[in-house]
Amino acid sequence: MDLFLQRVIDGISQGSVYALIALGLVIIYRGTGHLNFAQGEMALFSTYCVYQFGEWGVPVWIALVLGMGVGFVLGSITEVTLVRPISKKSPFAVFIVTLGLFRFLNWLDGAIWGNQQLPTTAVGSKQGRFPSLFPREPEDHFKILGATIRWERVGILALVLGISLLLYLLFNFTKFGLAMRAVASNAESAKLTGIRTHIVLMVSWGLAAAIGAIGGVVMGGLNGTVNLGLMFGIFIYGSAAATLGGFDSPVGAVVGGMIIGLVENLASGYIDWVGQELKLGVALLVIVGVLLVKPSGLFGTPKVERV
Amino acid sequence: MKSLVTIREGSAAHWAIRIVTAVLLVAILLWVPTKGSASLITTSIEAMTLMSAAMALNLVLGYTGQISIGHSAFLGIGAYTTGIMVSRWGFSPWVTFPVAFGVAFFVGVLVSFPAARIKGVYLALVTLALGLVFPQMLTWKRFSWLTGGGSGLPLSCPATSATRTCAGVAKTTTGFDIGPAQKGQLQTFKIFGHDFFGDLRRLDNKSAFWYWIALSVVVVIYLACRGVVKSRVGRSLIAIRDNETAAAVMGVNLVRTKAFVFGLSAGLCALPGCVVAIKTGGVSPEGILSLTVLGAITFLIAMVIGGAGSLWGPILGSTLYVFVTDKTGSWADDDKIPGLIRPLFGWSKISPADGIFALLLIILMFVAPRGIAGLWKQYSPLVVRVLPRPAGTGGTPEPLATVSATETTNEGEPQ
Amino acid sequence: MSMLKIEGLTAGYGPVSVLHGLDLEVGEGELVVMLGANGAGKTTTMRAISGLIGRQGTIEMEGVNITKWSPDHIVRAGIAQVPQGRGTFPELSVEDNLLAGAYVRHKGEGVRDDMERWFDVFPRLAERRAQKAGSLSGGEQQMLAIARALMSRPKLLLCDEPSLGLAPLITQELFDVLGRLNTEEGLSVLLVEQNANLAMHIASRVYLLETGRIVASGTSAELSADDSIRKAYLGF
Repeated sequence: MDLFLQRVIDGISQGSVYALIALGLVIIYRGTGHLNFAQGEMALFSTYCVYQFGEWGVPVWIALVLGMGVGFVLGSITEVTLVRPISKKSPFAVFIVTLGLFRFLNWLDGAIWGNQQLPTTAVGSKQGRFPSLFPREPEDHFKILGATIRWERVGILALVLGISLLLYLLFNFTKFGLAMRAVASNAESAKLTGIRTHIVLMVSWGLAAAIGAIGGVVMGGLNGTVNLGLMFGIFIYGSAAATLGGFDSPVGAVVGGMIIGLVENLASGYIDWVGQELKLGVALLVIVGVLLVKPSGLFGTPKVERV
Repeated sequence: MKSLVTIREGSAAHWAIRIVTAVLLVAILLWVPTKGSASLITTSIEAMTLMSAAMALNLVLGYTGQISIGHSAFLGIGAYTTGIMVSRWGFSPWVTFPVAFGVAFFVGVLVSFPAARIKGVYLALVTLALGLVFPQMLTWKRFSWLTGGGSGLPLSCPATSATRTCAGVAKTTTGFDIGPAQKGQLQTFKIFGHDFFGDLRRLDNKSAFWYWIALSVVVVIYLACRGVVKSRVGRSLIAIRDNETAAAVMGVNLVRTKAFVFGLSAGLCALPGCVVAIKTGGVSPEGILSLTVLGAITFLIAMVIGGAGSLWGPILGSTLYVFVTDKTGSWADDDKIPGLIRPLFGWSKISPADGIFALLLIILMFVAPRGIAGLWKQYSPLVVRVLPRPAGTGGTPEPLATVSATETTNEGEPQ
Repeated sequence: MSMLKIEGLTAGYGPVSVLHGLDLEVGEGELVVMLGANGAGKTTTMRAISGLIGRQGTIEMEGVNITKWSPDHIVRAGIAQVPQGRGTFPELSVEDNLLAGAYVRHKGEGVRDDMERWFDVFPRLAERRAQKAGSLSGGEQQMLAIARALMSRPKLLLCDEPSLGLAPLITQELFDVLGRLNTEEGLSVLLVEQNANLAMHIASRVYLLETGRIVASGTSAELSADDSIRKAYLGF
């Protein structure tokens, strides 16, 4: 029982990181109908920036905000300079451009910070480990019903729930949120009501990248290091979460992320043969299963394919 | 559009162009292993491996419009089939090629069934996940009796199989040790005084031998793709890519056609995997970049830069990719960068090739979405325009290995 | 000074031009009807005025040239469009649809009061204010689309075939509302219709559009009096 509770908490907390990536994917999908393959790599770039800010002695929470700022700028610029012009051509062209961006950003991180794990004494890092947002010494935990719950896990969960709440308020109770929902629902009518759709889309991409940045920093904190492959798997988990929840549903993204994290943790914990190696396979099965059985996911709006 | 020269298809001038191109191509292919440096041969083998995979990928992406970022898994299946068969069971590497094709074909057909129902970027997502899961599957503890887990398998004959036939792999880990027993049978084959097959008998000069194996794989895949594309199946494929519903209405069996093509593409993609396994002298999840998801992205980049949906596109793209990567491979060290462009790349801690190609890919999508092959098709008529033969006059079959301005591939941007 | 004055308008989609030098005028407080067959360019005209597609020529609003303006700028200037096929936000509630209609206005400028006012005009919307727009019937969605356009407090309302797919009774009701808005509030209206009979009752003036050009114009009475026009275009 105690181990079960611990695994549930850990799973939900892990899943909340996937939820952040999924939220970014969903925000972009709602606005433009595109699946942003570079979502994970945009987050990784911000994560490296946060490491760099840490090297310069910036406190971690301020570094996080700065990193989100970097992500926001990166996302907005991407939408304006790449995605908007290319989306006039074809969905395939958009896909190739986001994939090209995926590869380019991954290379750029390597070009700036090298291809070793950071921090490392080899390049004279001042930090011993990647800055963590929450206390993570061995004694930073509490016991409940015999289960050991780490404060870090609780902190991450609280952070993600807090961000989800902020996004909920933004979407439903602000003028800009209304504009975002209107654009997602019917872009041309949105223009006819005087909404500056190009600004809404630009900000959506920026927002998605900024949220992704939080995911990257949390992952870096959990890992203790940042490396070029950090976000590959996370992107797949995040995509699985978005698929499960429904690509146009922010609520679905959060719920989907937590379900994926839970299933992944319980499966690898209780089913011996799954182990660490097949965890990603769980995500793959979820994606394939949902796309085949219910492509709109748990909370999404079904789409009619036009001939 | 005005062109400098206009010739008629099938005329003497046209045949002259075809023959000159073919001769040039053959001359280059012969020159590399006989006169080229060892590093040029190695680079060429890499290029041919990449173009094999890119051509196989092109079959699904360029012609049916199904996006796959998971073809690295099929290449990996090929590599591991060779690795397992040679290392665990002592088969000759030769035998592993058809087996690898069969295994990957089977897996490809299995993958094609869900893939037929999942569209566009969602399929890309699924295959990306597949590409990421595959290397992890290899390290799975339940498979390690077969795959050797994280450390992989060396490509040598198992020590216990002394009694079994272990053709050609008796001594070394290369898999193609042409031992003394065969010495008498293999003569150096010379044409005009050149040893085209390289010195097969010396152990320290196997590159040329691998070169021919890699080239054979390229030729086989090219012929297979060409055969499919120019056949009735090929026309169904293009119909599927351009309008799936219309194709179904016209009587194309979507599921069966897609399954066949996906299987074929997967099977063909396994062949360069065998080559890589043999050349590397072993297989491991991390030792072969082409079987990770970054490998699959590389196939895609090389193919799209060369020209998706064109037979020659992947060949051109892969050649460019590998040779530029090779030239810039040492540029992480600033001193190796040519002085003129040092400020441009000096800041980079790793080789700039991947960044250059990612950027090139993005730029090409804006200016030339059909890649180099598309540009060629668009601008070559400015120099030589070939007028098609009037319909109904019939014609002699074209030679297979010609590159010419008449390449009548159905090109188009996959949707 | 007229509310809207269009001279030599050319517009279309990509290389295909649909309008070839269209001239049209809507005076202040007028209700102008544009009639024309399918493909004549009615919707294209509306989209060009709202700035949704590329356009050449001059479009003036109250003497100001707005030809090059962006769609949101045009809405701010006081032109609201009810697009063809209603164009509501199906995933948004009725109230949110109306709030989106008031997007160009600042909060506290009586947006809520306006909303209540349109709920009074269209009581059926009031009953469904929390429902998603996608769940409304065709007639209710059309009312919502009109109410949403009015939420921006336009000086000129563009209405693109509001009767499309509606039952005659509902169409009648909508036209009554449009007529009242015009006569009682002085709202200028440019109405595109295929239903000539109904539209001409409330029209101040009528334009006939054919393959991208105006072929005839005048008051309802003038056009109805012309036998050839009546037979060819009006069908009565």
